[in-house]
Amino acid sequence: MTLFGLALRNLRRNRFRAILTALGVAVAILTFVLLRTVIWAWNVAAEYAAKDRIATRHKVSFVIQLPKRYIDDVRAIKGVKAATWANWFGAKDPKDPNNFFANMAVDPASFLEVYDEIVLPPQQKRAWLENRRGAIVGDVLARKMGVKIGDRVTLLGTIYAGDWPFEIVGIYSAARKSIDRSQFLFHWEYMNESMPERRRDLIGWIVARIDDPGRGADISAKIDSVFDVRDAQTITMSERSLQLSFMAMFSAMLRALDIVSIIILVIMMMILGNTIAMGVRERTGEYGVLRAVGFLPRHIATFIVGESIALGLVGGVLGIAISYPIVELGIGRFLEENMGSFFPYFRVDPKVAGAALLLSGLLGAAAAILPARGAARLSVIDSLRRVE
Amino acid sequence: MVPLSYNLRSLAVRKTTTLATALGIALVVFVLASVLMLSNGIRGTLERAGSEDVAIVLRKGSDTEMSSGIEDANVGVVASAKEVKRRGDGQPDAVGEVVVVVALDKKGTEGVSNVTVRGVPDDVFAFRPEARIVAGRAARPGGAEVVIGKGVRGNFKGVELGQSFELRKNRPVQVVGVFEANGSSYESEAWGDLNAVRTAFGREEMVSSIRVRLESPAKLDAFAVGVEQNKQLGLEVMREAEYLEKQSEGTAIFIQAMGTVIAVLFSIGAMIGAMITMYAAVAHRRREIGTLRALGFSRASILFSFIVESVLLALGGGLVGAGASLLMTFARFSTMNFTSWSEISFSFDATPGIIGGSLAFAAAMGLLGGLLPAVRAARMPPVQAMRA
Amino acid sequence: MAQANGESIVELRAVTRTFFRDKEAIPVLDALDLAVPRGAFEALMGPSGSGKSTLLHLVAGLDRPTRGSVRVAGDELTSMSDAALARFRARTVGFIFQAYNLLPVLTAVENVELPLLLTSLPKAERRRRAQTALRVVGLEDRESHYPRQLSGGQEQRVAIARAIVNAPAILLGDEPTGDLDRPSADDVLAVLEKLNKELGKTILMVTHDPAAAERASIIRRLDKGALKS
Repeated sequence: MTLFGLALRNLRRNRFRAILTALGVAVAILTFVLLRTVIWAWNVAAEYAAKDRIATRHKVSFVIQLPKRYIDDVRAIKGVKAATWANWFGAKDPKDPNNFFANMAVDPASFLEVYDEIVLPPQQKRAWLENRRGAIVGDVLARKMGVKIGDRVTLLGTIYAGDWPFEIVGIYSAARKSIDRSQFLFHWEYMNESMPERRRDLIGWIVARIDDPGRGADISAKIDSVFDVRDAQTITMSERSLQLSFMAMFSAMLRALDIVSIIILVIMMMILGNTIAMGVRERTGEYGVLRAVGFLPRHIATFIVGESIALGLVGGVLGIAISYPIVELGIGRFLEENMGSFFPYFRVDPKVAGAALLLSGLLGAAAAILPARGAARLSVIDSLRRVE
Repeated sequence: MVPLSYNLRSLAVRKTTTLATALGIALVVFVLASVLMLSNGIRGTLERAGSEDVAIVLRKGSDTEMSSGIEDANVGVVASAKEVKRRGDGQPDAVGEVVVVVALDKKGTEGVSNVTVRGVPDDVFAFRPEARIVAGRAARPGGAEVVIGKGVRGNFKGVELGQSFELRKNRPVQVVGVFEANGSSYESEAWGDLNAVRTAFGREEMVSSIRVRLESPAKLDAFAVGVEQNKQLGLEVMREAEYLEKQSEGTAIFIQAMGTVIAVLFSIGAMIGAMITMYAAVAHRRREIGTLRALGFSRASILFSFIVESVLLALGGGLVGAGASLLMTFARFSTMNFTSWSEISFSFDATPGIIGGSLAFAAAMGLLGGLLPAVRAARMPPVQAMRA
Repeated sequence: MAQANGESIVELRAVTRTFFRDKEAIPVLDALDLAVPRGAFEALMGPSGSGKSTLLHLVAGLDRPTRGSVRVAGDELTSMSDAALARFRARTVGFIFQAYNLLPVLTAVENVELPLLLTSLPKAERRRRAQTALRVVGLEDRESHYPRQLSGGQEQRVAIARAIVNAPAILLGDEPTGDLDRPSADDVLAVLEKLNKELGKTILMVTHDPAAAERASIIRRLDKGALKS
């Protein structure tokens, strides 16, 4: 038996209450993990963004397109290894109009070169390059739409009006967490050739790969200065900055989630603190006995804090354990399928779980501060009187 | 029946425990009420802009004004339909507008966010009587002047009375006025001259949407049939209110889903908190319960008494939480709307239903949390209870 | 064999203890002198409110006198810090309560071991000493029982084992038989007698029980804060 062992023994005193409290803590930690995972997953795209990729778009608005010849200017800039372009297509699946997924017109060869973390088997890649109506989809989207290689899919255009028939020639997966596996990608040429004269040869944005990630800012500035004198000005930033600015648009939402995730911890502390305070009140006499046999006030405080930490950790471990199946089998899968462009990868991060565990212990300690101080301050004679 | 004052005094005696439990519940109710108020605010903000007697015309297949495009020549065709109301001067009560977004530096955070810019004809205030200038003056037609909604005022760099921002390089627009529009989403937009905006964005001779005021709401179907039957136009008609509801769907559903998950988990936590407290109360008052039973109070009245106590406890917390949530009506929440890809500023709208519902929710937590402990109290055999 | 050479293990000089309720001063002990020789077995009797428990608390280092000096086993308690007093309690005295006050979550042997947690003794040694103490009180076969599985007399004997496990200079008992029936009380008293006679422990015990007092070598009577014998 040790001093900490004694603290643990007290948890068995009122087993039912301890279980209820641990459950309360578990629910709070579960909520905390879910909320933090939303925030974390929102950051995933930026966190795992490629450091050697920069994106160029119109300076004023993403709705204004750039002339296609800009791609050649970007490729000519020193330090640019490869560059590709894409247009936001914004079409819908007429069979399931509420299913939002990213669909883009891209230049397959250069696209796969710039986004080399997109994993596509060689024969599928070849098939895509050869088939102008060919499209590839992410594995998450393929599962959701129920399509397989060889299927014909027709999308209903919104920005680019009309029916657009495609043939699925490949299903990609990703070697990096920041890649949305719910995209639908097809030949830009296929789209461009069916445009009327005035809407032809316009591209949405340019993505370039650079030799040296450390020179991203220089190269970006160089690109923008080249176009500064043209009729469409651009803004170029690293993939990471792009993701960060995208997140900034939702900053209020993220801040709200942040606040709510703190509130749940406060609630957890109240549940835990309440239980500890009740236990302390019931056991005041025993603390008197311990003091009488020579234990110091700090020993008493240690018992109480130790008990609370243990309870917090038990609840924390339980909450984290529950969060895994809920996220992996439920919420995470749902979000990856339905909101892949926001949450390309929605899983419990070990860092989030670790923080939750740490917090459940720390807040356990914090919740016990007041009851422990009260018990330690009581005089021996007063505490003893509580039993006699 | 056991008198209510007995319960109230019992709660007062254990004031720390009562306070901790009630505050936990207060936080839960606060979060719940705030989420409901926000999602109500989002619907309200987006839907307030819609009138029953206004129809919106978009290109077929387009979900949003931004992705839609209609040739100028067709505006006259649509507006001349016989179901469209005439103004005093015999002109149809209709507007063709262009909707774009510009990326502007967001104040308070790093990064940019999108602001909707609406290119409006000169008679826009005649078409939208709810909109009126509250500071500065209306923009001069044809010029590089804009008016801004009060919801975006000051949120972005240059979006403030007397300042300016760029629609295109060397094409700055001056903010000359601030308008109010009944708290609707229009208040998150900037309105500029139709031709100036579409020239800047390369949308000459195109509008994004046509809005027409019908002679009566019932005329919608006839108008829609007239427009949609003309296959050459390739247009689609929706009631404005319906269109706006669709615009708010994504964001409102997201916030509501998030809020529901949070509320459910939070309430489980708070319920466990109430349960712990009530079990302790029952254990603590064994003797009292025995005495009450010996005095002739029935099992049912003991059961009822403890449930009442628990409900009172939760309601107390609920009142504090609901009260605090009312303070949120002074706050505004500015975030990206998923559908329109632009920033909209929302308010927290309280309704008696939301406040009443939150209180009922608190009471339900008290009821559920108190039920099992109350059953235990009622089951205590009087003699044993007194001996304890 | 007790009453060796007249050396006092407990020495109280002019001890006054006054409690304050609101602003009213309630004198409990008044300029009291007391000397307990090493090896004695003394009983302290007196009506409720006579100050016996207060006197015992002062000797145990649980309370401090308002005025006067308390020396126990050569230490002057009045000048000690709280921490030093706690150390004194852990090393020098063993305290036996009327209500046993065993921790319900610990087994008999663990309860006995409790004061040793404050020492740096290795685990096995602590356990061995606790078992020895249990053997002294005749409960070696009950070491893994929880308090609720023991009778009142057995619980009190475990409490005595807890009091002696740290080999204190003096044992203090506050109504050690107060909650017990006659046969159990006699068992407990027999243990105390044995500790005094065979192991030479000094015992100072407050009691109401004349039968208990009879076992003591000296009976002192306390009334209204002053010693009567």
